[in-house]
Amino acid sequence: MSHKKKRSPNTHNDTWVVVAADSAVEAPRRKDGDPLLVQLRNPCTGVASLYMFGSDDAHLYEVKAFNEDCHSWFIGQTVHRDGRLLYITPVDPLYHLLPYLIKVAKEGKFQLLQQMVIDEDFPVCSRLLNCKETKASLGLVAEEKEVAGQKFYRYSQEKTMEWLKKKVDKTVKALKNSNISVGGGVKSTTYIRVNQECDFCEEDYLRYAHGLISEYISEDLSKDLLKHLQLPEVLSPNEAEPPSKKRKVSDKPVEAGEDYTKFNSTDFARKPPKKMTAAQKSLAKVDKTGMKIMSAFFSPKAKTEKLPLGWQLWEVSDSTNASPQLLQSQGS
Amino acid sequence: MSRSLWLMIARVKLLFFLLPERLLRFCLAFGFILLRMCSNASVITVQLGSLGQADKPQIHLLPCEIEHDGPAEVSRYFTPTVKDHKNEMSVSFRGRGLKGAEINCPQGYTGLVLKEDNKAASDQEDRTVRISSVFHRFTYWNLETKPNSDDGVVMAMTWPALAEAVSVC
Repeated sequence: MSHKKKRSPNTHNDTWVVVAADSAVEAPRRKDGDPLLVQLRNPCTGVASLYMFGSDDAHLYEVKAFNEDCHSWFIGQTVHRDGRLLYITPVDPLYHLLPYLIKVAKEGKFQLLQQMVIDEDFPVCSRLLNCKETKASLGLVAEEKEVAGQKFYRYSQEKTMEWLKKKVDKTVKALKNSNISVGGGVKSTTYIRVNQECDFCEEDYLRYAHGLISEYISEDLSKDLLKHLQLPEVLSPNEAEPPSKKRKVSDKPVEAGEDYTKFNSTDFARKPPKKMTAAQKSLAKVDKTGMKIMSAFFSPKAKTEKLPLGWQLWEVSDSTNASPQLLQSQGS
Repeated sequence: MSRSLWLMIARVKLLFFLLPERLLRFCLAFGFILLRMCSNASVITVQLGSLGQADKPQIHLLPCEIEHDGPAEVSRYFTPTVKDHKNEMSVSFRGRGLKGAEINCPQGYTGLVLKEDNKAASDQEDRTVRISSVFHRFTYWNLETKPNSDDGVVMAMTWPALAEAVSVC
């Protein structure tokens, strides 16, 4: 859009709005046991992302940013330009240990954890060993041997698959409790939530949960998990999606609450309308082509599978300019 | 004899010519690695002790980017014009009608505003942030559309529950 006013880059940023788990901001037991924001290797992408160690490294948290275009905050009597909302939520440190365990698994030896979890690029990763969950549940992904009071570990693919399957089951339960729509339409972000019709099949839930978990594991593990869950690999989106989309549009009436014409395309993508008036029905045709374009836009890469949520949460990493290095906003 | 001497000088010259560049390249490469390592290794401490002094301001999420960071007379020009009719909030901001709603932080979660008072001179340094404000709810504003459960920020608030299912074993 040529008429769009160019915005000056947001270079100065010293304030962040976050929603943090209460456990992350509980008072530390020691005076110098404050939580630490650190960069760790993202177990899915391998690039640096922002995480937080709770007081005394007891728990690990991930930091994700909810980021919509053109938002700013009023905080009391100040303006804060960066409209992001960061979420600090607990994350299982095992996701982060797995890549290190798998890396040395080829040697087939039992090893000490301290020998395996070493990363020149991310020296803070050794703090992962202090997490409570690490000690408690490492046996869920590795075989354990105790020799002379020391514990040695070896990565186990079977155990890991079982562990991940339990995660999927748990996520499916959480999805069913929430009113998140898990049907195929979600993948295009322009989905219509029909609250009264909760007839998503079990496979939709499984796939959605698998997609969520895949954001925490490597691509290889994600594929193995898909096999373990006995889910067939998704057909190439080009073959599978357009007909189903078409059916969705033509079979069920699109419900819209407000006037379509008020929205530009990006607004529409983000805020699906609910009810439909007669005037809007005539716009359904325009809509269909729009959806086609959307699916074409999202389909070619397998990555779509990894973004199963209708809304976007970004990893806070230095690889995306939406969320630059260590909270340092360099503009978008 | 003289021929081989010249050759030697030429070689030495060549060596001198090459050396600084090589050195520079090496340093650059090394420096880059060092810098990257340091920035990955640097940590930001969240000073929890500051929680006691944190204020509890009103917070609004606006549907526009304001190219400013700093003080503004929000309570003089913005909050007095907020109308609250039967739980439907509206306000006129710069001639635009905004429709808003209050949104709560999920259970077990607290809203914080983190502030870095002393900006680190380089990204190698360890940094500290303090908690300048605490909130449990805020008001988000849509441009003209009525707030509903499909709004991005409402959906985003379901993330913590999901994240816990994905992560807690």
